[in-house]
Amino acid sequence: MSLVVRRSRRTREALPAYAMLAPLLVVFAIFAYYPFYRIIHFALYQKFGNSDAESFVGTAGILDVLKSDDFLSGLWITVKFMLYTVPAGLVLGVLMAVAAHRRLKGIKIFQTIFSSTIASSVAVSSVVFLTLVNKQAGYFQNVGWLNIETPGGAMRGVALSSVWQNIGLTFIIVLAGLQAVPEEINEAATLDGYGPIRRFFRVTVPMISPTLLFLAVVLVVQALQAYAQIEILTRGGPQKSTETLLYKITQLQGRTDLQTGASMAIGLFILTLVVSVGQFLMLNRRVHYDN
Amino acid sequence: MSQVSFSHVSKHFGDSVAVDDLSLEVADKEFMVLLGPSGCGKTTALRMIAGLESITSGDLIIGQTRVNDIAASERDIAMVFQSYALYPHMTVRKNIESPLVARRAGRLDGAERDRRVGEAADVLGLTEYLDRKPGALSGGQRQRVALARAIVRRPEVFLMDEPLSNLDAKLRTQTRLELVELWRRLETTFIYVTHDQVEAMTMGSKIAVMSAGKLQQVGAPQAVYERPANLFVAAFIGSPPMNLLEGVLETPQSASVADGRVPIGNAPSVGAGAAVTLGIRPEHVRIGGVEGADIGATVASVELLGHERHVICNVGPSRWVVRQGSDDGAIEVGARIGLTVDPAHVHVFDSATTERVN
Repeated sequence: MSLVVRRSRRTREALPAYAMLAPLLVVFAIFAYYPFYRIIHFALYQKFGNSDAESFVGTAGILDVLKSDDFLSGLWITVKFMLYTVPAGLVLGVLMAVAAHRRLKGIKIFQTIFSSTIASSVAVSSVVFLTLVNKQAGYFQNVGWLNIETPGGAMRGVALSSVWQNIGLTFIIVLAGLQAVPEEINEAATLDGYGPIRRFFRVTVPMISPTLLFLAVVLVVQALQAYAQIEILTRGGPQKSTETLLYKITQLQGRTDLQTGASMAIGLFILTLVVSVGQFLMLNRRVHYDN
Repeated sequence: MSQVSFSHVSKHFGDSVAVDDLSLEVADKEFMVLLGPSGCGKTTALRMIAGLESITSGDLIIGQTRVNDIAASERDIAMVFQSYALYPHMTVRKNIESPLVARRAGRLDGAERDRRVGEAADVLGLTEYLDRKPGALSGGQRQRVALARAIVRRPEVFLMDEPLSNLDAKLRTQTRLELVELWRRLETTFIYVTHDQVEAMTMGSKIAVMSAGKLQQVGAPQAVYERPANLFVAAFIGSPPMNLLEGVLETPQSASVADGRVPIGNAPSVGAGAAVTLGIRPEHVRIGGVEGADIGATVASVELLGHERHVICNVGPSRWVVRQGSDDGAIEVGARIGLTVDPAHVHVFDSATTERVN
């Protein structure tokens, strides 16, 4: 009896719940699930010329693309870009947050300046950066290692610009993490006899490690999805030296290229998934979550 | 030797004065309790000993050394924080071991560290929890870990900042006794901050009462209870608190009050006609008939505590508490009664200066 009552009540409560969830599901269906399905479809079928005819190439077709030199070079550039931006961005953000995490008169001014890049779009800050490295008038025109007309300089330029764009976010989140560490724990560590540097590594870093893990994942995903700064600064060049996977995919839009682009997109999706899950598994063991 | 000595020590935070010209001697191996309401400066005083607050003026001496300019990490001091401040990412073992590994200079070898950690864990009954993290422990166990972390380094001075305030009442009573036993066993100087006068009375070998940044009185608990130096200490120490009543001194042996006359055993140093505040503890008042009593009163309510009862009554404009045996005869709320005080235990304070005058 009571089971029946409970079940009918659950049904009654479920209907409005689904009704309220529906709009979000529609949005997801249109902008996430349907495109994802289409990508898989494009990857499995090869189109020819302007006709609607398509032939099934299957997973073998996808694997051919993922084994191609084109994909592998894009993958290498993506990984390089990730290695350039994520550790540097994380370390710089932590250093700035540690510097700004103290009770000083006027410290709010520094905190505002340090976090300011969060308020500007990638496109805007990329244009600003492009102006800075401009060969004729840029402030950094004579800085050789930032010459974006050479392959190495282009990668460094795009990476530096990305680090700069992300630093505000990293700074704010690390600062919030530092502020959540109880002052008494730092004081206890001081009385235990830890100097400032050992205190930082033995006490502070473990306590903000959940924050650092979160940031590492966010920064990796941002590196994998970088587009605007590459489009504005280098357009993938010179000599494809900054053509990351995502940028490469965006360039493959012709009807005959669809199968290649879609296969690469699947490759990028798998890479993102593996990196994110891997980071969680690897760091979760070392990360401390309070209670 | 680990005596701690404040000599005219002040601490200012901007315009506000947290500790005002504090001079206090804590002898070697003493259990000194700093007692006072919140904001009285007791915690600031403790944090100055630890080196966690700078000293605005005056000298702080630990042992023979002036420590004003010695960094917290260089002082041989252990502190138990109110929140315990354990490292949540370390096991109990690592937490306790922490002070032994924090300093590179003079670090003990691994075997000796293990021995010390084992010993501290044994003293505090933590041996079976050594491999847990603080998150998996109860409040009382965490508090013990904090204590173990403090004793493991065998410091010159122990500082404790309200270490019992996060425990439930039963555990607090038990831990109080254990802390005193620990102090006897370690034979080290303890400086203990609390706002709880029961903790102060039961644990301290001396208590220092503070209010508004100023030291009010220092002495053995019983001495402070029996001869409070001023009205603040009189009202703060004792539960239920001392009964107070305004009056005018008539002779060195008596003062007139709103509804009668209070006999005074110890003659005050002020002359007849002086405005005084009289203080009598609840156990030094007897209830009787209105005839022949010192003061008239009306019963407001009665609190039964099992082994005793508190009769709350209105005496003129004041509210008094009389402590009685629970079988001292029936008492009716609203009844008119007479109160007789024990002259030997009448405390006289100057109403203007609030200082004790007898």
